Amino acid sequence: MIAYINNQPYEYQQGETILNFVKRIQGEKSIPTLCDAPNLKPTGSCRICSVEVALKQGGPTKTVASCHTPIMEGSYIYPNSDSVQKLRKNIIELVLTDHPLECLTCEVNGNCELQDVAARVGIREVRYPQGANHLHRQKDLSHPYMTSDLSKCINCYRCVRACDEVQGQFVLSMAGRGFDAHIIKGMDESFFASDCVSCGACAQACPTSAISDVFQSKSIVDADKTRTVCTYCGVGCNLEVSHRGDKVISIRAPYDAAVNGGHTCLKGRYAFKFYDHPDRLTDPLIKRNGQFEKVSWDEAYNYITDKLNHYKNTTGPDSIAGISSSRCTNEENYLMQKFFRAVLHTNNIDGCARICHSPTALGMQRTFGTGAATNSVSGIQHTDCIMVIGANPTAAHPVTGAKIKQFAMKSDKTLIVIDPRRTELAKYATYHLALRPGTNVAVLNMMMYYIVTEGLTDDDFIRVRTEGYDDFLNKIKALDVDKMEAISGVDKDWVREAAIAYATADAAMSFHGLGVTEHSQGTFAVMQIANLAMMTGNIGRKGVGVNPLRGQNNVQGAADMGVQPHQGAGYLDVTNADIQAKYRAFYGVDVPTEVGYKIPEMFDAAIAGQLKAIWIIGEDVVQTDPNTQKVIKALENTELVIVQELFITETAKYADVILPGASFLEKSGTFTNGERRVQRVNQVVQPIGNTKADGQIIVEMMNRMGYAQPDYTPDGMLEEISQIVPFFAGIKWEELGINGKQWPVGKDGKDTQILHTDSFKRGKGYFEFHPFEETREIKNNGQEYPYILTTNRDLEHYNCGAMTRRTGNVEILGEDVLWIHPDDAAAKGIKDGDMVCLQSPRGKVDIKAHLTEDVNPGILSTTFHFPEIMVNNITSDEHCSEALCPEYKVVAVKIRKSKGKFKTLV
Amino acid sequence: MSENLSNLSFRKGIVDNLFEKMGDAAQHDGTPSKEELAALAEEFLIGKATTYGATTFYDFMKPENRGKKVYVCNGTACVCAGKQNAVQEKLQQHFKKEEIGHITCLGRCHENGAFQYDGQNYSGDSADISKIITKKPAGRDNYHVEALGNPVLTTNFSMQEAQELLSNALQKSRDQLLDEIINSGLRGRGGAGFPMGIKLKSCKEEASDLKFIICNADEGDPGAYSDRYLLEQQPYAVLFGMIIAGYITGADWGVLYIRAEYPDAVTITKQAIEALRQADLLGFDILGHKNFNFDFKIIKAQGAYICGEETALINSIEGQRPEVRTRPPFPTQQGLFLKPTVVNNVETLAALPFIIKNGGTAYAKMGTERSKGTKLISLDSFFNKPGIYEVEMGTKLATVIEKLGGGFKSPVKAMQIGGPLGGIVPIEKIPDLTIDFESFAKEGFLLGHASIVCIPKDFPMINFLTHLMDFAQYESCGKCFPCRLGTKRAHEMLEKALYDNYKIDKALFDDLLTTLKEGSLCAHGGGIPLPVRNAMQYFEEELAGYFVNL
Ligand SMILES: Cc1cc2nc3c(=O)[nH]c(=O)nc-3n(C[C@H](O)[C@H](O)[C@H](O)COP(=O)(O)O)c2cc1C
Ligand code: SF4
Ligand code: SF4
Ligand code: SF4
Ligand code: SF4
Ligand code: FES
Repeated sequence: MIAYINNQPYEYQQGETILNFVKRIQGEKSIPTLCDAPNLKPTGSCRICSVEVALKQGGPTKTVASCHTPIMEGSYIYPNSDSVQKLRKNIIELVLTDHPLECLTCEVNGNCELQDVAARVGIREVRYPQGANHLHRQKDLSHPYMTSDLSKCINCYRCVRACDEVQGQFVLSMAGRGFDAHIIKGMDESFFASDCVSCGACAQACPTSAISDVFQSKSIVDADKTRTVCTYCGVGCNLEVSHRGDKVISIRAPYDAAVNGGHTCLKGRYAFKFYDHPDRLTDPLIKRNGQFEKVSWDEAYNYITDKLNHYKNTTGPDSIAGISSSRCTNEENYLMQKFFRAVLHTNNIDGCARICHSPTALGMQRTFGTGAATNSVSGIQHTDCIMVIGANPTAAHPVTGAKIKQFAMKSDKTLIVIDPRRTELAKYATYHLALRPGTNVAVLNMMMYYIVTEGLTDDDFIRVRTEGYDDFLNKIKALDVDKMEAISGVDKDWVREAAIAYATADAAMSFHGLGVTEHSQGTFAVMQIANLAMMTGNIGRKGVGVNPLRGQNNVQGAADMGVQPHQGAGYLDVTNADIQAKYRAFYGVDVPTEVGYKIPEMFDAAIAGQLKAIWIIGEDVVQTDPNTQKVIKALENTELVIVQELFITETAKYADVILPGASFLEKSGTFTNGERRVQRVNQVVQPIGNTKADGQIIVEMMNRMGYAQPDYTPDGMLEEISQIVPFFAGIKWEELGINGKQWPVGKDGKDTQILHTDSFKRGKGYFEFHPFEETREIKNNGQEYPYILTTNRDLEHYNCGAMTRRTGNVEILGEDVLWIHPDDAAAKGIKDGDMVCLQSPRGKVDIKAHLTEDVNPGILSTTFHFPEIMVNNITSDEHCSEALCPEYKVVAVKIRKSKGKFKTLV
Repeated sequence: MSENLSNLSFRKGIVDNLFEKMGDAAQHDGTPSKEELAALAEEFLIGKATTYGATTFYDFMKPENRGKKVYVCNGTACVCAGKQNAVQEKLQQHFKKEEIGHITCLGRCHENGAFQYDGQNYSGDSADISKIITKKPAGRDNYHVEALGNPVLTTNFSMQEAQELLSNALQKSRDQLLDEIINSGLRGRGGAGFPMGIKLKSCKEEASDLKFIICNADEGDPGAYSDRYLLEQQPYAVLFGMIIAGYITGADWGVLYIRAEYPDAVTITKQAIEALRQADLLGFDILGHKNFNFDFKIIKAQGAYICGEETALINSIEGQRPEVRTRPPFPTQQGLFLKPTVVNNVETLAALPFIIKNGGTAYAKMGTERSKGTKLISLDSFFNKPGIYEVEMGTKLATVIEKLGGGFKSPVKAMQIGGPLGGIVPIEKIPDLTIDFESFAKEGFLLGHASIVCIPKDFPMINFLTHLMDFAQYESCGKCFPCRLGTKRAHEMLEKALYDNYKIDKALFDDLLTTLKEGSLCAHGGGIPLPVRNAMQYFEEELAGYFVNL
């Protein structure tokens, strides 16, 4: 396939546009463009990219826009003929007749694509007489982040396409036609009034300053740039941070990021101002007489060392426990568990995975042998059917959520959403199975029943790759679907159709979230999802698999690094003698051999008086763990509470010692996202005040307690980790590149996008049936507390909100509210905005009602971001029977209208 | 255009159609309320900006249309005829100024003085306005219809004939019928002259469970009313053509996109469709042909010239802003709702009864080497016998003017032929032209849809150009930079030259026209320089005073 550029022959690629072809051969800058953008489909509006094309050398030419014109075999392309140069110049001249000529004072001066193209085409004057223009359009400064100055708009549609093709939000459009055509938000309203979710894709796409943000992200004055990874969710977006010395100015999304290709959500892009917020802890604090006092690091270390040594020697190592943080790097998590195992000699180390995806890790380990996502998010491009169960990714994993939404909008694809709430994805789904909270296992079993009865199982896959199927099959066949229908409240025909869609798709993948795991049957539900994939052969190839949406930025990594009481670094069984020998040899010291406490067991032990000291890094257990009063009691009952934090969280208030850690912007290391991608976190600024990288704090403590551990460096730590964690064998700091590597990484440095391609980690995939069982919460309390409350997260805030509540995000969303069906509200005389008293057997909270049909009658839903509400005061003590993950998703409550007197219970 | 919006609109499809719902919502007030637009956005999951942005595009849905009660035609023929001021004045006796809107060409070019009131068109003698306002009589009009030779399009084609011809035709295979059409050499009558057979073939070859045949009945060219004639007087011919196209390509749906300016055409076509349905010629397994399903949907447009452009038209039906799409993909590959779609002009489709009945070769016998068959010509009120005339391709223009039209009523200096993007033909060029694509192209004009609008001798060319460019800028979709900005600036300069004693820099104006022609995405911006250049060439002397260095 040959085409000519300026009469020189070159090979072109199938489907290549002229623009891409010429750019590939002659360089990025060979053809100027304005409406084209790296992550958007061509639209052909600016016509600046015009080139001349002839069918034969010297033949008559036609002017075409290169960005959307495919190459014709044997054609002659003249990308910079005199006539196209003149055309470009004349178009720019027209553009400048409706554009303010005040570049020097414009925020994007020096980084404006219009300015650049105008210079390149050599424009010197505008010859047109003064005419109508849009220079009067007012700035929109209504929003905490997004801004517009549409007098600078050139109508290139990049923002509209970004909002459509990237975020899928449709906030932007043109209105009017012809010369009057102008960008609008919503129905010609402000950013703040519109449905904008502040992802910033439009601002990044806009070639001028017409749409921008309050950080003026496109301004380049004196800015250095550092690439790093978002600190919030497990999607693991790459960020390009602009900074001036130690001041972070703004954040953009690199287009070459494998994870997020030019996209982020508002948390990653805009919610960074917590890092130098006045509330940041800057010095170690020790509580004396009920007051926190600033102390030196030495004093804090001495204090802690003395106490820990004391407990270790008196009440024993197992009277000390640690909760490590998924917000910290792999290296830091590795160090924390090493500190507990090698220095303190206890396995009492756990992490927040306990309260989110511990059932996933356990369930998938039982079925497949590995507890991590089997595939990559990029599988969305290769799949025909997606099942999203118990997850609301457009809020909690926004960039992945946006990708699933894009998928769902395609008319030849199937999206199945299994969720009690009508989430945003549910609106776009082909099937929304709005089950009663707590009945995932019932619905999944129904799906499998129909796959069996419809004869849609992949028998070859089952025969060759799995075991335990016969017994499983018998139990599935015996399922009473009518009973399950009654239990789950989902029409069985819908379940049947959805099951058929999943089973008959060439490739079907599932994503699941905490709506699966945070249940008394969490682990079993995960196993049923895995079984569903196996029985339909949806494992081990592109576009299939079981893909947990891991919550926190590094929750995957924390577990990988051994932040679990039963498995050490690399998921190795701490009770196995060979493994113990291995760890002993590697750490050079004796290691504990008994399984340690899981987080809920730590609290039980504390209340029972067996736990003397606890060290919590970056986790607000008081606000986010269930049954707040019990957690508080546990902390009060523990003699030494060390909290390592950025802020005085609700938990830190109960600390005896507070150690000020560093945020992601202030340190280096690696985070592992939900698709096992280990990515480099690169330090942008120096730690604030006297804070230290959390890893360095742990290293210093290790040394003080007699274990020689070199200073915290990411390369040094990774080298150590790669020697003990098998799937990190080939991971080297210098070789991680911009997009990281997906484990397992072999010694040769090759990474892995898809797991279980030929065989499972455990050999054969293991089928195990579990029947639905009603949670004790309902069995015991359902009569007296007839409503079911289920908790979840919003887009704007991250869990306890310690970070996001200290950013502009609070101006967008400032409180937790209660979703309640209008019928329920009417029955109780509750109006939108009224305060509702929610009462469970644990306690009461008051919360504002938001009437919506997005929950079914009988179901309530709220978030837990704000300490003003502290909804976990009423969540229960029930846990997943296998993994001890708390059952946040099913809380039996009763409701009444209130005047708000339980507002400040804590 | 947005693929996501196409797909989301497709969820409710052509039956529960988004664009139609927008139009309905505009009924009561002239523009949909924000609540209605928000509800539609929620129903279709497409965002409020989408519904609002789309409706603001159309003359009959945009917020400025609120409260309009009557619309005065400002099409070229009516403007040249000079009757509109009187109509406007008369209407002002009955309506407040803000209740009177504009409408561009009601297809009453043969008698002018046109206006639309309460969904009905009126024209001709404007003395009757007060009677019209009070009684709302049917606004019928009369014009000559005549064929010079063998009538193909102007012969009556009844429902019975349609039925018979259809059952005969369906005896033949899809390929046999396609071959007839390919052999006929029939080229599109909407302006571009693309061979219909090739379009059908490429659509037929696409694998898809759903395909569409669209009849482009958005005849927007001021001065043209031949499509109006066909829809109102030969609806079965058009519908028959669509059914055959559906049979050949495997399309299930025929969509007629009819402009709001032709209310009678909507009513009559609807009735004809009902008659076909009564006769069991629509629906599933038509005439016992397993798997041949076909049905019709009429979409009433909402006032935007660019919707005649086929990709804008498709966007319009989807409820998107009717901006022009890039090609490829062509509509035959990804058209309405991204499904394979054939878009044909009314007149192109109306030729199929003849071709199917008499064979492609019989049709190809008529016309010239490269322009086969017959063509309808619309003559405006400057002719002694205004009306619709059918001539064989290759017929002398002079014959049409003299013999059929009976010559001009009053002195004419030029004609704009083929709509606003068609050339300005000075009368001295009449002898050089024959009615076919090649002759017009060779002489630097455009046959287009073949409407003829006369420019009276005393009508200043600068006024004409200003009017033309006003139309061009007003109707530009605004998607591409050259046309959005260029037509506006061109209009501003012409207006300034006309009213402000301003002289246009010829070099700048030339650059502007070249930019429009070479740079525009579609033939709207790309085509408008043609008549302007014609005028500058043939009326150089008259225009010289408005330019520096013309
Ligand atoms: C600005 C513009 C306006 C158009 N208006 C019409 C129109 O009113 N009716 C029409 O049939 N075609 C119109 N067309 C041509 C259509 O895009 C398309 O070519 C035609 O409908 C194809 O049908 P045909 O092949 O039967 O001619 C227009 C094109 C342009 C660029
Ligand atoms: S910030 Fe995101 S959601 Fe908001 S308008 Fe821009 S692209 Fe759309
Ligand atoms: S706001 Fe920016 S991106 Fe949007 S059309 Fe205007 S210039 Fe283009
Ligand atoms: S919070 Fe998640 S989706 Fe948002 S930018 Fe950070 S990693 Fe990406
Ligand atoms: S030439 Fe005009 S009408 Fe055509 S796409 Fe461009 S702006 Fe729209
Ligand atoms: S870059 Fe091709 S038209 Fe704008």
